[in-house]
Amino acid sequence: MNTSIRKGLRSGLIFSTGIVFLVLIGFTTTISELIAEGINLDTTAGSTGNVYALSLFLGLLGLWAGARGAEKSEPDTWSKATVGGLAAGVALGIVMAVFTWLLGTLSAAGVDLRKQLVQFSKANIDFILFQTSVVNGALMHMALFTLSGLAGGLIARGLRGSWRESLRVWWASQRDRISQTSAVEYLRTSTIARYIYYGLLLVLLFLIPSRLGQYWNFTLGTVGIYVLMGLGLNIVVGLAGLLDLGYVAFFAVGAYTIGLLTSPTMHGLTWNFWLVLPVGILMAAFTGILLGIPVLRLRGDYLAIVTLGFGEIIRILVKSDMLAPFAGGPQGVRDIAGPSIFGVPFSDERDFMYLIILGILLVIFVTNRLQNSRIGRAWIAMREDETVAQAVGINTYRAKLLAFAIGAAFAGLGGILFASRNQYTGPEDHNLLVSINVLSLVIVGGMGSIPGVIAGAFVLKGLPEILRQISDYRILAFGALLVVMMILRPEGIWPSSRRRLEFHDVPEEAPPEPVHPRSADLPETAGLDATSDVPVSTDVAGEM
Amino acid sequence: MKEIALPRARVTLSPYRIGQIVIGALFIVFVAWRLYTVLVQGAYGPDTWMRFAISGLIIGAVYAVIAIGYTLVYGIMFMINFAHGEIMMIGAFSGYFVFEALNTASVGSSATANFLNTYPVISIILAFLAGMTVSTVGGILLERIAYRPLRGAPRLVPLISAIGASIFLQNAAQLMFGPGRRNYINPNLLSRGSGLTLMINDSPVIITYTGIFTFILSILLMIGLYVLVQRTRFGRAMRAVAENKQTAALMGIDVDGVISQTFAISGTLAGAAGVMWGIHNGIIYHFVGFIPGLKAFTAAVLGGIGNIPGAMLGGMFLGIIEAIGPAALGINFQLKDVLAFSILVLVLIFRPSGILGEVLTEEKI
Repeated sequence: MNTSIRKGLRSGLIFSTGIVFLVLIGFTTTISELIAEGINLDTTAGSTGNVYALSLFLGLLGLWAGARGAEKSEPDTWSKATVGGLAAGVALGIVMAVFTWLLGTLSAAGVDLRKQLVQFSKANIDFILFQTSVVNGALMHMALFTLSGLAGGLIARGLRGSWRESLRVWWASQRDRISQTSAVEYLRTSTIARYIYYGLLLVLLFLIPSRLGQYWNFTLGTVGIYVLMGLGLNIVVGLAGLLDLGYVAFFAVGAYTIGLLTSPTMHGLTWNFWLVLPVGILMAAFTGILLGIPVLRLRGDYLAIVTLGFGEIIRILVKSDMLAPFAGGPQGVRDIAGPSIFGVPFSDERDFMYLIILGILLVIFVTNRLQNSRIGRAWIAMREDETVAQAVGINTYRAKLLAFAIGAAFAGLGGILFASRNQYTGPEDHNLLVSINVLSLVIVGGMGSIPGVIAGAFVLKGLPEILRQISDYRILAFGALLVVMMILRPEGIWPSSRRRLEFHDVPEEAPPEPVHPRSADLPETAGLDATSDVPVSTDVAGEM
Repeated sequence: MKEIALPRARVTLSPYRIGQIVIGALFIVFVAWRLYTVLVQGAYGPDTWMRFAISGLIIGAVYAVIAIGYTLVYGIMFMINFAHGEIMMIGAFSGYFVFEALNTASVGSSATANFLNTYPVISIILAFLAGMTVSTVGGILLERIAYRPLRGAPRLVPLISAIGASIFLQNAAQLMFGPGRRNYINPNLLSRGSGLTLMINDSPVIITYTGIFTFILSILLMIGLYVLVQRTRFGRAMRAVAENKQTAALMGIDVDGVISQTFAISGTLAGAAGVMWGIHNGIIYHFVGFIPGLKAFTAAVLGGIGNIPGAMLGGMFLGIIEAIGPAALGINFQLKDVLAFSILVLVLIFRPSGILGEVLTEEKI
């Protein structure tokens, strides 16, 4: 019983710290508005829609705290779960009641908290007190969390019942049955089916931009440019294992190349976009090599800092007065040319969307070919163990340089498209945040995995566009996401099969992973047996 | 990988070696040319150089204190604690809030006398206590939440987690305290601008009291740390863990405990550095820890990472270079960050083990 109480109190205290933090950063207010909007509550002034949404949000957190307080222990009894959940709820309730009471009292005494903590305006403090008096608000917190904690504990115990195991078994058998059906098997493995998928995808990619308006094409275009850069960084970080925190430098090189060569206001040069495209990409790749030659001998974490420093150097340099006559200084470069085909200029966001899609397809093609080539395998070997890679005859230095240059070239392409689409580029387009965004999407999506990078870009750049209200919290969430991903799922949301195997041993019931890309061509007996733990390679199959 | 030395092996120039030589030559030529032009022009008198040197020493001392935090953690965990600058920022804000609160708290019957200026020494001590305590707790929590679950993971994993923690703390501070810059209210005793005046070439050179205070306190902190590491039982445990975790554990040292305490100490130092930064520079905001953090890391690498006297020396050296460098090279002062980062790159290229650094063993690499 004592351990249950202790566990509950622990959970309650951890959650109360978290909730106090959410209140401090003003997230409770924002999320309440979002929830109220989402479930169509009346949010006009003076109505209580937002307050209901707030209690809903806090109640859900209370449920979670209760569930964590009633975590499984032997023997797993209902009374233990009740006590644990209740303890969590009471602890959470007391802390929150004291906290809100303190806030309310200070606010009522006329202390302007807002001067120090910007979220604590009078309105926000009243809101967190459920728009009632100080004492009532605090008591409501107490009651809400006690009840929700208790409920959370009970629900958690209920969900642990034996029915869950049987459901899992049923689902596994269903999945096996479906995946072993010949039609599904055919759709999954046949080459013709694959080409049909690709065709459908292409048609979709062609149709989508024409159906969307300017705004969505612009937004998706930004996501697309991040996909491009993510795929480039994926080669550097995901395949070759070099942590590059100054990736934005190459983006800047691309953007400034097109800026300086096509903007008539800067140097009177008006090159054609299509001419600048290869020049800019080559410039970026060249910069990558130039930076790579001295720094690629460094250990991983040194490399991270040096590249970060380099990214900052580029930004400070183009911003400085010294280079202002050459690069435009803080004002940046205006009137950057857009592309045109047969004299028809790209005037629409949609046209750019097509260009970006084309760029992505090209980059995916290149990445895919590289990944499965000799150099791709060299990169992966190097990422896993550099000494061993050297021992088997890989020139690691050259492989690293190549990865760096190719990654830089993709970033340069991204920079060219970005600057050309905005018709402007300036130093603040190239701050550290861009590097961090790109790195986050590669890591969150799954290092070394092409679909992972695309998924990551949509999650990190696309979702915040949809949820505009919470965009203030986007970067905060990036940070938290990086930490949480590293702890819970270091391989990313859509990992490459190789990395998934690396971080987790193959679970017993997992569907067999093709060890060799061509294992589907082998005779029936060579197919992987889900029950055998021996990794079956083609050689082993030959002996069988 | 060492190459096998064959008798009469042909000397081949790898692209790396060529790059090293080219960059080194360019650097030397550039520095010589700029120094020559600046000195021939005689743009600055000795008084100005003195001013630069003094401000460099003061900032350098703060860098040194922060750099020790990086070096301690690196020495034990072989990871860059990327969020160290943010721990410093938290400390700076804590000190700021103490000063703000004491500034509004009135003492006795008179309405004009506030606590801050009536008891300035106590106020300063309170501010440092608050800053150091909050940063210490921050350091411990950071280790517990973001790094401890990753023990034994590949090297990139904790580094990325550290970057995430850094971003998180920065933005949390921005959301809590607002994006604006705040003026650090010092007690009158340490009001900015006032100081000792030296006469050099008939022109006054002011050494501010905040500067003297910061410098002396930094030196005291460094001495204290050195004694802690070299003379105490805990310091011995820490050095043992840095040397070899398994063996240390076999000798009965609580490795996790030592790691946690190391983060606590580096947090304490960062907190003190944050309050000093606020008192001396006068402006803090959510991003205040980032650039000093990077600089301090540079300083730690410069001195030889993992080496405590190296971090101190590196910090001082970097501070002086940054203050004198732009003037000596005759380049724009906007570019002083570029100078610091260039030095980092150069050090890593030519002497990755740093000025005082030992050659790291294979395991630590």
